[in-house]
Amino acid sequence: MAEYLFRAVDIRKYFAGVKALDGVTLEIKPGEIHCLAGENGCGKSTLIKIISGVYQRDSGTIEFEGKELHKITPISAIESGIQVIYQDFSIFPNLSVMENLAINSQLVAKKKLVNWKDMRKIAEEAVQRIGFEVDLDARLGDLSVAEKQMVAICRALMFNAKLIIMDEPTTALTKKEVKALFEVILQLKAQNISILFVSHKLDEVFEISERFTVFRSGKLIASGNTVDLNDKKFTYYMTGREFEEKIFEPKNVSEKPILEVKNLCLEGYYSNIDFSVKGGEILGITGLLDSGRTELALSLFGMKPADSGKILIHGEETELKSPQDAIKKGVGFVPEDRLSEGLFLSQSIGDNIIISEIDNLTKGKLVDKKRTEDEIDRWVKELSIATPDANNAASTLSGGNQQRIVLAKWLACQPEILILNGPTVGVDIGSKHDIHAILQSLAGKGMAVIIISDDLPEILENCSRIMILKDGRLSGEFSAAEATEKLILDKMM
Amino acid sequence: MQLKINKLLKQNETYIFLIILALSFLIQIRSGQFYTSNNIVDIMSAMIVPGLFAIGEFLVILSGGIDVSFPALASLTAYATTKMFLDMGYEGSVFLPLIVAVLIGVVLGAINGFFVGYLNLPAMIVTLGTSSVFKGFMQGTLESKQLAVIPTGMKDFGTVAVYTATNAQSGLSSRLPIAFLLFVAVILIAFFVLKYTMFGRGIYAIGGNESAAYNAGFRVKWTKFLLYVFAGIVASIAGIIRVCMMQQCHPTNMLGMEMNIIAGVVLGGTAIVGGRGTMTGCILGTLLIVLVENSMILIGVPVVWKNVFVGLLIVVGTIVSAYQSSHSGIGKGHHKKTEEA
Amino acid sequence: MKNMKKFAALFMVTAMVLVGITGCGSNAEESAPAAEGAAPAEGESAAGEDAAPAAEESAPAAGDYEIVVVPKDSSNPWFVRMDTGVKEYAAETGMNVYQKGTDEIDATKQAQLVQDLIAQGVDAICVVPVDPESLEPVLKQAMDAGIVVIAHEGASLENVNYDIEAFSNSGYGAFIMDNLAEAMGEEGVYTTMVADVTNASHNEWADAGVAWQKEHYPNMTLLEEEPRVESHDNGDTAYNVAKELFKKYPDLKGIMGTSSFDAPGVARAIDELGLVDKAYTSGTGMPGDNAALLKSGTVKSLTLWDPAIAGKAMISLAVKVLDGEEIGAPVDLGVEGYEAMTFREGSSTVLEGEGWIVIDADNVDSFGF
Repeated sequence: MAEYLFRAVDIRKYFAGVKALDGVTLEIKPGEIHCLAGENGCGKSTLIKIISGVYQRDSGTIEFEGKELHKITPISAIESGIQVIYQDFSIFPNLSVMENLAINSQLVAKKKLVNWKDMRKIAEEAVQRIGFEVDLDARLGDLSVAEKQMVAICRALMFNAKLIIMDEPTTALTKKEVKALFEVILQLKAQNISILFVSHKLDEVFEISERFTVFRSGKLIASGNTVDLNDKKFTYYMTGREFEEKIFEPKNVSEKPILEVKNLCLEGYYSNIDFSVKGGEILGITGLLDSGRTELALSLFGMKPADSGKILIHGEETELKSPQDAIKKGVGFVPEDRLSEGLFLSQSIGDNIIISEIDNLTKGKLVDKKRTEDEIDRWVKELSIATPDANNAASTLSGGNQQRIVLAKWLACQPEILILNGPTVGVDIGSKHDIHAILQSLAGKGMAVIIISDDLPEILENCSRIMILKDGRLSGEFSAAEATEKLILDKMM
Repeated sequence: MQLKINKLLKQNETYIFLIILALSFLIQIRSGQFYTSNNIVDIMSAMIVPGLFAIGEFLVILSGGIDVSFPALASLTAYATTKMFLDMGYEGSVFLPLIVAVLIGVVLGAINGFFVGYLNLPAMIVTLGTSSVFKGFMQGTLESKQLAVIPTGMKDFGTVAVYTATNAQSGLSSRLPIAFLLFVAVILIAFFVLKYTMFGRGIYAIGGNESAAYNAGFRVKWTKFLLYVFAGIVASIAGIIRVCMMQQCHPTNMLGMEMNIIAGVVLGGTAIVGGRGTMTGCILGTLLIVLVENSMILIGVPVVWKNVFVGLLIVVGTIVSAYQSSHSGIGKGHHKKTEEA
Repeated sequence: MKNMKKFAALFMVTAMVLVGITGCGSNAEESAPAAEGAAPAEGESAAGEDAAPAAEESAPAAGDYEIVVVPKDSSNPWFVRMDTGVKEYAAETGMNVYQKGTDEIDATKQAQLVQDLIAQGVDAICVVPVDPESLEPVLKQAMDAGIVVIAHEGASLENVNYDIEAFSNSGYGAFIMDNLAEAMGEEGVYTTMVADVTNASHNEWADAGVAWQKEHYPNMTLLEEEPRVESHDNGDTAYNVAKELFKKYPDLKGIMGTSSFDAPGVARAIDELGLVDKAYTSGTGMPGDNAALLKSGTVKSLTLWDPAIAGKAMISLAVKVLDGEEIGAPVDLGVEGYEAMTFREGSSTVLEGEGWIVIDADNVDSFGF
C-alpha cells in the first residue's frame, strides 16, 4: 500500500477571478486522523467541496489510493470511498432517520424504486456499526444536534468509506457530546478509516489529531505531526500574527461596587447567588452548561427576571423586569447566540451598530443622518471591524467581526456594566485575542465587566475574579492569582 | 395503542378529517341531505377537477416550489385540444384528445420546469409569468371563444356514468362520470411515485434540503424539471375533464382557481416551504374546500355571506394546521438539546 | 450561472412582451381591417353586399369618428356576437369603430381598459359595465375629457351621455317569467338566479319577474329560504348550485335565470338529476350554445335580445351625439327593436327599446349565431 491514501497536490481554484486556493497540497495517510485548520476564508471549505465534487478545481491533481481522480462528482466521490460530513450535516430534517440513512446508498445503487424493507435493513446495519441507538422512525428534525451528527456519520460509513471528512464537527456540540464524538472517531480509526478533521479549535486539534495541515488565505502554511506543534506555533500558523498572552491586571478599580447581587433565586435554575462587581473589574462566571450560568446572565439583563433576591446598582435596589429596564440602568448584554439574538444579519453593519442608541441620534422625529454616520465610522475604527463598507450586510462578516459589531452596538450605549455570555464562541483565534484586548481596555476605563464562559483559558486570562456555579449554586470563588484550571474544574464537576 | 393515538393526534390529517366530519354533520342537520347516496356521488364528481389540480400543486409545493400557472395551463390545453378536434370533425373516443392534451401539458409544463429547475429562478415569479403567457397565447393567438359543443367522445367521457346513485326518497339521481376513474388512477400513480420511487423521495428530499439532496447525489434539476412536467400533465388532464363534464369549453372559467387549490393543499398539512405533506392530507384538504364551496345552500348560509364563510374556514383550518406543526415542528431538536445538556 | 439567469430573465420578458404584442395585435387586426377595409369598400361598392345600401342609408355624416365598444369580456359568445354587429356597422359606415374587451370578466381590468382608451383619445366609448358603481369614476374622467359615453345594461350609471336598454328591465323580467310560467304550467315553487347579487340589470330583471309572477301567476310561489342565488357567470357554478337547490328543496319546480350561463347550467343539473319534465328553467341564452338543450326538451324556451343589434344601437346613438343631433323621444336608431326608444320614467339618460326575442326548439337554428 502506498504511503498516502489521499493526495491533493497544487490545487488552484478561482472564483470570478479571485483566488480561493493558491496551489495548496493536502496529504492523508491511511487510518490517520488529520486535522485541517485555518481561519474563516482560508480556503479549507473550498478544498473540501473540490474533494467531494461540489466544485471543480481549476488545476492540480488529486490522487486517491494511488489512482488519479480526474473529474469528481458527488456520486463518484462517494463511490470511491470519500465521504463528507458537512457542518449542516447535509441531512433531510423532514424525513425519517431511516430514510436519511438509507437514501444515499439507494441513489448510489441507481435504484429507481424504493424498497422500504431494504431501507430499514440498511439503516439498522448502519447504526449498529458504531452502536448508535436511535428510533429509526423519528423525524430527523426532532433529533438533537449531536444525534443528527451521529446519523450523518452512520450514513457516511455505509459506503465502505475510506476517508471521512468532518467539517467543523464540534461547533454546536456540548463538551460531553464532543467527547462522545471523539470516541466514535477513534473507533473509526481502529477500522482503518482516515479522518480529515476540519477545525480551528486548538484544544481539539491537539486532543484528537496525529497530523495537521494549516491553510491561510488560500495558501498552504504548514503541515506536520501534531506532537511537534504547540499553542503559540499553531496560532501563528493560523493568523500570521504573534500574540502576547496578556494577563488582565485590574487597575482603576472603583471603591464601591457598581453591581451587587444578594440572595438571588430563580426557581429551577439557580438559588442564593451573592456577588458584587466593582468598576474596573472583570468577573468570570463559569460552570457546566446546566449550572444556571446562562439563566443568571439573562436575569441580570431582565430577560428572565429572578423570583427573589435583590439586585443593587450603585447601591440602589433595582428591579430588572425587562431588557429595557436593564438598558436604562446602564447594563449591556452580549448574548451567547449572536446570530439569533444579537444581530440582524441581513441588515447593514452600520444599522446593527446604532440600533440600540437610535433614540439618541434623532433630530426631531427623524434620524440624524450625519451624526449616525459619524457614530458608525467611529465604532468601525475603534473596534477595527474588517469591512470595506459599513453598508454591507452583517452576514458578510466573519464570526469574529460579527461579534465586534455586537460589542460595538452595546458600547455605543455607554453601559456601566457589560455582561458577555460566551464572548468568543465560534470566533477565530485572531479575533478572539482582539476581543479580549478590547474587554481588558474597557475594564481599564472603569467599566464593570462580567464574562460568562466555559472556556477556562479565556476566564483565567481575562478575569480578576472567578466564580464557579454548580447545579445552580455558587460552588467556589477564586481570585485571578490563586485560580488554576484544575481548581476550577474540581469545583465545576 | 396509546402510541397510535398519539401519532394520530400529531397528524394534520386527523384534524382536517375531524373538521370535515363536523361540517358533514352540520350539513346533515341543516338539510338532511349530506348522507344520501346521490349527494356523496355529487361530491365525488365535484372533487375530480379540483382534486387533480391539487395533486399537481401538492407535488410542486412539496418540492419547495409553487405553481400558480396551472389554471391558465389547463385552460390553454383544454381549449386548444377541444378546438382542434372540433375542427377535425372528430367522432372517436376521448382517448386521442387525452393523449393530445397530455402532450400539450408536457410542453407547457416543461417551460415551467426549464425556468424553475434548470435556471433556478423563483417558482412564484416564473409561474406568474407563464400564467400570463398561457392566457395571452390562448386569448390572443388562438382567439379563444366559448365552444358550445364538444366532440361526442369527450362528452361521453364526462357524462356517461360508471355509477348512478338514486335517492329513493327524493327520486333525484346523480351520476359519477367515467372521468372519476381517471382521477382515482392519477391519485394512485401519484401516491406510488411519491412513496415507492426514488423520484418521489427526491421530491421530499429537495423540499427538505435542496443542497443536501444535491450532495447526496439526487439529480435536483432534472427532478424539478420532471416535476413541473408532471404537474403540467395532471393540470391538462384536469382541464380536459372539466370540458368533458361541462359538455362545453369555456376558456376562462377555470382561471382564478389557484388560490383555493393552494389553500386546500396547505390546509391538508403540506408545509408551504416544502418537504412535508401527504397525499391523504392533500386530498382531504381539497375535499374540505370543495365541500365548503358546494354546501353553502345546503347549510343555508345566505348568499351574501358565502365568501365570508369560505374565507373564515380557510383561515381557521390554516391556523389549526400551523399551530399543530409549530408544536411538533423543526425547532424541537434545539429544545431537546438544552434539556439533555 | 449568473449570466445564464440574466439571460433567462431577459428571455422571459421578451417572450411576455411578444405574446403581449400578438395579443394586442390581434385586437388591432380586428379593428384595423374593419376600418381600412371599409374605405376601399366604398370605392368597390362593398362587393355588392347588403351592406352597401345600408351604408348609403345611414350616410355617415361629418366624422370619421373613433368609437370603441367595451364589453364585459372578449371571449363570452354574447360579446363575440356583439362584435359581429360592431364589425358590420364599421363595414357599413366606414367609420373607425371597433370592439375591445378584457380577457376575463373583471371590473378592475375593465376600468383599466377604459382608462387606456381615454388616454388614447377616442371620440366615444360604448361600454357594457361589469360593475357600474366601480366604473363610475373612470367614466367621469372620460366625460371630463370630452369623450361621449354610451352604456348598455348600466341604467344606474350617472356619468354617461345615455344608457341604452334593449327593453325596460321590468318588461324583460316579465317576459322571462312568462316563459318560465308557461313551462311550469303556471304553478309551483321557483327561485331566481343572477350572476352576482351586485349585478344591476340581472337583479332588476329578477325583481321584475317576481313582481310579474305575483300579479299574474297566483299559483306560483317564490322559494322563501333562497329567493336569489348566484352563478358568478360560470356554468359550472350554476350547475352545482342548481343541484344543491333541488336536493335541499324537493318542491322546487323552476329556476329563473338571468345571466346567459344560468339556464344552460341549471339545465345540465335538471338533466343529470333526472328531473326533465319535472323541473324547468328559463332565462337568457344564446341560440347556438343551447340548440341541443332546446331540441332535447330539457329547456322549453330561452329569452334574448340580439347583442349584435344592441352594439349597433350604441354606436348609432354615439354618432348622433357626436354629430350634435338633439336626442328626444321617440329616438330612432335605425336598427330593429330600437326604432322608437323612449326614456325610462324619471330618467333623462336611459333609453329603452323593445328588443327582446324568444328562442325555442323551432326557431333556434334560424339565428345564425
